[in-house]
Amino acid sequence: MSDKAKTNASPMRAGSMSLTLTPWIVAALLLMVLPFIFNNNSSITIMNQMWITVIFALAYNMLLGQGGMLSFGHAVYMGMGGFLCMHVMNYVEDFGLALPLPLLPLFGGLFGMGCAMLIGAISTSGAGTRFAMISLGIGELVAACSVIIVAFFGGEEGISGDRTYGLPFFGIEFLKQIEVYYLISFWLMLSAALMYLFSRTPVGRMANAVRDNPERAQFLGYSSRWVRFYSFMASGFFCGIAGGLFAINYEILTEENLNTASSGIILLVTFLGGVGFFFGPIIGAIAFTLLQTVLSLETELWAFYAGALFLATVMYFPGGLAGLIMMHVPSYRFGNANKLFVPYIKTLIPGLITVLGSAALVEMIFHYRHGSVGDNEMTLFWITFDSHALVPWIVVSVITGVAFYITKTTAPALKEAWGDANTPPTSGGAS
Amino acid sequence: MTAALELSGLTKSFGKAEIIRGVDLSIGKGERHAIIGPNGAGKSTLFNLITGRFAQTAGKISLHGSDLAGLEPYQINRMGLSRSFQITNIFPAMTVFENVRCSLLWSMGYKYSFWNLVASSKKLTDGADEILEQINLTERRNLPAGVLSYAEQRALEIGITIAGGADVIMLDEPTAGMSHSETDYIVDLIRKVTENKTLIMVEHDMGVVFGLADYISVLVYGEIIATGRPEEVRGNPKVQEAYLGEALEAEH
Amino acid sequence: MELVLVNLIDGLVTGLLLFMLSAGLTLIFSMMGVLNFAHASFYMLGAYFAYQISIALGFWMGLLIAPIIVGVLGAGVERYGLRRVHQYGHVPELIFTFGLALLIEEVVQFLWGKNQMAYNIPEILNFTAFAIAGNSIPAYKIFMIFISIAIFIGLLYVLTRTRVGMIIQAALNYPKTVEALGHNVPLIFMGVFGVGTALAGVAGVIAGPVLGTFPGMAFVLGSIVFVTIVIGGLGSLWGALVASLLIGWITTFAKSYNIAMSDILNGIGIATPENLDDSIWRDLWTVTSPQIADILPYILMVLILIFRPYGLLGNRDA
Repeated sequence: MSDKAKTNASPMRAGSMSLTLTPWIVAALLLMVLPFIFNNNSSITIMNQMWITVIFALAYNMLLGQGGMLSFGHAVYMGMGGFLCMHVMNYVEDFGLALPLPLLPLFGGLFGMGCAMLIGAISTSGAGTRFAMISLGIGELVAACSVIIVAFFGGEEGISGDRTYGLPFFGIEFLKQIEVYYLISFWLMLSAALMYLFSRTPVGRMANAVRDNPERAQFLGYSSRWVRFYSFMASGFFCGIAGGLFAINYEILTEENLNTASSGIILLVTFLGGVGFFFGPIIGAIAFTLLQTVLSLETELWAFYAGALFLATVMYFPGGLAGLIMMHVPSYRFGNANKLFVPYIKTLIPGLITVLGSAALVEMIFHYRHGSVGDNEMTLFWITFDSHALVPWIVVSVITGVAFYITKTTAPALKEAWGDANTPPTSGGAS
Repeated sequence: MTAALELSGLTKSFGKAEIIRGVDLSIGKGERHAIIGPNGAGKSTLFNLITGRFAQTAGKISLHGSDLAGLEPYQINRMGLSRSFQITNIFPAMTVFENVRCSLLWSMGYKYSFWNLVASSKKLTDGADEILEQINLTERRNLPAGVLSYAEQRALEIGITIAGGADVIMLDEPTAGMSHSETDYIVDLIRKVTENKTLIMVEHDMGVVFGLADYISVLVYGEIIATGRPEEVRGNPKVQEAYLGEALEAEH
Repeated sequence: MELVLVNLIDGLVTGLLLFMLSAGLTLIFSMMGVLNFAHASFYMLGAYFAYQISIALGFWMGLLIAPIIVGVLGAGVERYGLRRVHQYGHVPELIFTFGLALLIEEVVQFLWGKNQMAYNIPEILNFTAFAIAGNSIPAYKIFMIFISIAIFIGLLYVLTRTRVGMIIQAALNYPKTVEALGHNVPLIFMGVFGVGTALAGVAGVIAGPVLGTFPGMAFVLGSIVFVTIVIGGLGSLWGALVASLLIGWITTFAKSYNIAMSDILNGIGIATPENLDDSIWRDLWTVTSPQIADILPYILMVLILIFRPYGLLGNRDA
């Protein structure tokens, strides 16, 4: 491999040092423009949820991907930040203080960080199972306490508030969803930028080192425990910001925001996106939110698909979606990406049909088993048919079977093309 | 003159098994001191005791006169003692350059700061490149450390160990598993980078030991049976009987 | 006094049930170093399979067959799922079992719906065994106790007195050595996983009628099982027993004796504030032991992790 290829070997990995501004500018522009493309209220609501999840997932990945610490109770910090913000909102409303709404998430962030300091003090002495178990225990504890401590958590109904309480911020009252959208976008860009920069600071770099080899890091003069603690604090801060934005967006916080299910979801989201790359959680959050909102309108089984997708990710592409994308970088750099185009079409399209066909069968089984008596009609992919008749079953099974067969037979060709595309071009004048 | 490292009455037992039985050793500043001994003599345990990996059962360890009892490894490191590991212990996911740069962070005063960016410090970058030059890995600068060859990884290991500017360097079998040419290369490297520093190393390769060391101590069953200049140790009948006899034969 | 006896029995039932779940889990942990998040899901599957079988063949057939099916499924999961993910490291393994738990819950909902199943105690056992001070003790609970103890004794016997048990114990600690001695260690792992999940299945079969058979049952019990083995010490079978019984009794006693926090605080000399409704500490004052009964295990776990990180009976290498 020539020298040039060697020095250019590292793409935008978590270890790369290139601080290119282009992706950030593009992202900012996209954020600004998207509401004009998808301009109905429900789309904006979905996007708001997406961006909040992105911040939460990025904060979570500070621990999981950057620090190698698996936390099962991370929703606590987002929830606590959110609850505090709700209280602040109500307090300001009751006492008429002049706190501009855009600054509110900061309170959430600080409170989230404070909680993280408390809990991190006991949990960060280890990174593996002990850490995971403490996080699980604390998560369950806090979620359980939240039903008991009604003063802070509002019991069953949670705490609600009104975001239009205060003085308008430069004339904006945040009454409309679109105004909240831009507020969230602002915080998203700021938080993401800060988190990215954090990974480039000494403590951020040492977090990577401690993740890979905690013992070695000690002999670099760093206490592995303190490095983990600081990462934990920083993660708690940004989780709290996400919580604050949640409070602003939904104007209500409940026990659900703190519980283990929410912690589990953010783990899923982050892992799905890919923990090895900074932008992984961003992709995961977007994909999952779409699954959750869009897919759930189409089928009752969306959680089943999410679970299956998650499992498939762990088993077959643990690098997540980001990992999948980055796998193509070498072939792109070698100029061989076009070699993959045709094999992909030949294998992935039948593959996609196989998946859709299997999903169709699953839907049909579900409908057959659980549909109300007499209601035999179901709609799949814009076709309405009788789920109790034999013909649809045969049709779908055949399509799925054929697609599966095609996928299997074209797969070896794809494998070969992949190997071919990833072979570095033989350079005439190697050094 | 304060010894760089002083061990007095050092004892370590794991349950009933006494692994280190009262070791007294004084290593002066700038010395190159090799610790040799048959397998199971307790050399790694000795290293681990000095570097704070586990606590001694009895006895005292002083670094430049300060007692090391109860200190954590990272604290000992900050006092100026650095070690390498027998099984290569680098950061495989980070690039070679970053491995070295991380080793410089503390010594350049960055501590746990989150307000400067490592990439923007010329001092860090230059410092790391300098070390890369010294260990001859400039060509491999941007490769993930995990893909380096074994000898290159060992060289990187040494680079990480000395980067922080520690003045007492402890190397645990630096040439383990290397071919002749690789060994010669590493020995030259060690000689170069440990100039003016105190070097303590555990080694099995007698060629390396006699070529590099000013002083040798022989550890057998947790006790030092001889210590002194290479020629003295070589001629010591106890040592010959316990250890060197077979090795010397093998060398001829 | 009689109330204490009733609570002892109730606590024993809960504790032994918990033990059946945690025994398998802790064995699996000491084997793979990974916590099987889906363990409680196999418990759930045991209940559902038993229910389905009992409709056609009766409760006893369900008790016999369902755990076997669950065990086979578990072995399959180890062979085709976990073994594959194992190469990626501990964290992906944990995440895999977590995803599996999720998927199993969805599959159960898919196949049986979201409502509770009418899985009932068999007629033979549906009577009151005896009464203590007016509290009737159902025969079924006695049955549960007996089955749990029988299984524990069986497990102990197999592990400590049979040759297979010796090999398993050795393989759990030194897999490579045992493999070098010619034993089929991957098969052993698969077997241990299968037996562990089958145990969870048995727990499901007998607990289903009493605790309810519904899709959320895995989730409800799931985290308590982890807490149990952490308190007992990861990898320790005796630890799992002690911790299970401890938790069983603590939660039962806390629930049945309505100790109010205000009484305790008054007792140590702090007077109840005048206007309780306005005070921000009002929740602390009004909390009663039944309310916190379910979170006591978590508090205990956190305390143990701080002060005795290897659990009550755990060993250092866990």
